[in-house]
Amino acid sequence: MDYSIKHPLQNCWTLWYYENDRSLLWAQNQKEIASFQTVEDFWSLYNHIKPASELRQGSDYSLFKKGIKPMWEDEANRRGGRWLLSLDRKQRGELDRFWLDIILCLIGEAFEHSEEVCGAVVNIRQKGDKIGVWTADAGNGPAVLEIGRKLKERLRIPPRTVLGYQVHKDTIEKTGSVSKYSYTV
Amino acid sequence: MSSSPISKQVAGSQAIPIRRVLLSDVADLPASYSSTPGGTLFSTTPGGTRIVYEKGFLMNLRNSPSSKTPPSYDIPDALVKGFGSSAEKKYDNGFQRPRQKKQGLPPRRNSQSQRRIEEYHDDQFQIEL
Repeated sequence: MDYSIKHPLQNCWTLWYYENDRSLLWAQNQKEIASFQTVEDFWSLYNHIKPASELRQGSDYSLFKKGIKPMWEDEANRRGGRWLLSLDRKQRGELDRFWLDIILCLIGEAFEHSEEVCGAVVNIRQKGDKIGVWTADAGNGPAVLEIGRKLKERLRIPPRTVLGYQVHKDTIEKTGSVSKYSYTV
Repeated sequence: MSSSPISKQVAGSQAIPIRRVLLSDVADLPASYSSTPGGTLFSTTPGGTRIVYEKGFLMNLRNSPSSKTPPSYDIPDALVKGFGSSAEKKYDNGFQRPRQKKQGLPPRRNSQSQRRIEEYHDDQFQIEL
């Protein structure tokens, strides 16, 4: 393989890190780490930071297209939602594989509707880790479903395990502890 | 008075065809960032063409010299590999020296997590409802 050139990505991506510092506001805890737009610059970053499983409880990594903030309020996200993968505590060992596979789907543009993808977030939590893949328009059923099916396939999630899509608006307005799924695959 | 004939001739919509181009060699990549593998010019192709990489191709580049080069910008301490595990010297570029593990075993790919993957295979996958 010729290593002398860097391989351009379709999009420029930004990695964010959320640190749970209670003395700061939520948005202040979102730290922009770096942006990259080649395969090699992605690996250079990924190879030199902690894998998600080694982050402190309460932290997040987020990877979004450059210019989109990892928050519902961002113009690119406000009409969107997320495919949600909730991991059991016993699945910590698989967390890093899921997160890396999702990153590779994003930067490699694995989806037919990859223009609908905004980014992805991994939440490290005591009660169970979560990974969400965020899309731009919850009303775009065909795109949302195609992305969900491709995720399920690429992450090798067994067919009988159901993956659910939550609309951000529902998550914000939820009354109970669990919000409903608008799509499932 | 009849209505304009133009209004009756609304064209049906058609999906933009997608062509996938599989790269077997880096030399197939266009030199210019504005064009994509397969030779179409992104800015002038309807719907644009996309630079798609399969997982295997991306994984193959993981250990290339530039992929192994630490980034030139600073990374917060909390994210630096090995940080917080014990008293370690910090270097002026903000990086920790990678910890030398005993007996030349590759660092950080601990066998424990591998074992866990086998133990809790797909059947255990749970989803919050």
